[in-house]
Amino acid sequence: MDNTVLIIVSLTLVGMVCGIAIFLVNRFLPEEDKLLKKTEEISKFLPGMNCGACGHPGCFAYAGEIAKDIDILRTGPCMVLMNDDKKVKALGNALGVDLSSGDKKVAVVHCGGNSEILYDYKGIDTCKAAAQLSSGFKKCPYGCFGFGDCVNVCPENAISIDPEKKIVVIDPDKCIGCGLCTKECPQNLIEIIPAKMPQYLACNYLSKKNIPGRERCSLGCIHCRICVKASEKEEVTWNEKKDLPFFDPEKCAPSPAAIEKCPRKVIFKRDFENGTSENRK
Amino acid sequence: MDNLFSIFIMMALVNNFVLAKFLGLCPFFGVSKKLSSAVSMGLAVILVMLATSVVSWLLFYQLLVPFGITYMRTAIFILVIASLVQILEITIRRTNVNLYNALGIYLPLITTNCAVLGVTFINVDQAFNLAETVVSALGAGVGFTLVLAIMSGIRERLDLADVPKAFKGIPVAFLVAMILGIAFLAFGGMV
Repeated sequence: MDNTVLIIVSLTLVGMVCGIAIFLVNRFLPEEDKLLKKTEEISKFLPGMNCGACGHPGCFAYAGEIAKDIDILRTGPCMVLMNDDKKVKALGNALGVDLSSGDKKVAVVHCGGNSEILYDYKGIDTCKAAAQLSSGFKKCPYGCFGFGDCVNVCPENAISIDPEKKIVVIDPDKCIGCGLCTKECPQNLIEIIPAKMPQYLACNYLSKKNIPGRERCSLGCIHCRICVKASEKEEVTWNEKKDLPFFDPEKCAPSPAAIEKCPRKVIFKRDFENGTSENRK
Repeated sequence: MDNLFSIFIMMALVNNFVLAKFLGLCPFFGVSKKLSSAVSMGLAVILVMLATSVVSWLLFYQLLVPFGITYMRTAIFILVIASLVQILEITIRRTNVNLYNALGIYLPLITTNCAVLGVTFINVDQAFNLAETVVSALGAGVGFTLVLAIMSGIRERLDLADVPKAFKGIPVAFLVAMILGIAFLAFGGMV
């Protein structure tokens, strides 16, 4: 009986002393470093899934960089954070800075998938492996292989494979615009564009000196520039480097005339009501 | 003085915590991939071992022995270690940010490290006095850091070595640990 009391008393005593000591340390030591405090506050607003798309080792490291220099948010933005207007505003309020909310961005695949098959590919079923074999197994050397390397990296499962055309399809509602898939595609077919962009080119046929796209794919761009001529307010310009039409992401202007006039019907209208792009045939 | 020195050698080399006593094996394999993080972990362990050894020694001889409840030492020591690590973490965090960043995640990890609890038990079991306790804790910490540093140095080289595929990673680390243990066996009988 006596021992039991002793045990309880001693444990309680030691526990109390330890608790009070922690309290005293917490209460009377100087405030923690401002940078560390700020970093922790910023990291609360970050997605916290450590995807690494911003180029930093993780969300906490990125928060540390923001704490040092707020401009990092603009020069190397966290696409996931920038897609959430409410969170961006809350972060701006917490830091006392006006962060003009970035528009939501989504990924699109610049391929319509109409290219014919050149040879029967029976190798490792990843796009990277397929791209190694004489520019791929499709007649168009720039097209989507549809093995879904990008599907595997997408953190939101927004990418699926179209069973008919064997190309990947991105669901713009699920897409958070993190840009991980753009790095994964060996064909560089995926681009991050503003979500309110009304149209996009479903082709990435770069070369004009070789065989033109028309002989490789029924949807290939033939670099005729009719879309540029048809555009009324210069909403479509020509990307000389790629030799493809260019839709200015700053303007995001619709160009129904260009879609209408395109002889290959390769400019796809984006339908944001349902969030899917539709092939105008 | 001779006594203190022999205790230090005994704890650091002869009865090395990792290789002879098999304590603290999870950080031995978990944190020994990079030399810099291994040294940070070792420093944190030395710090915590010193602090907890002194406090637990005082508690044992001032509280547990007089009241004859020495069998309560496990509960009391765990309580003391957990709160001391908390206090240390808060103190370092508030006073020296650079040190906090260097120790990083390892400080709270030590709370559940068996090596720290082990050194307090050994001090009490061997009936060390306070000075001997401090030296033995220091020796245990230094020995732990030494082995972690050696192991991480070897593992950094192993990444570049042509290891058979089945042995890559953890298996070859186990083999290296075995050879390291045999090497440390040579210290046996020194003290």
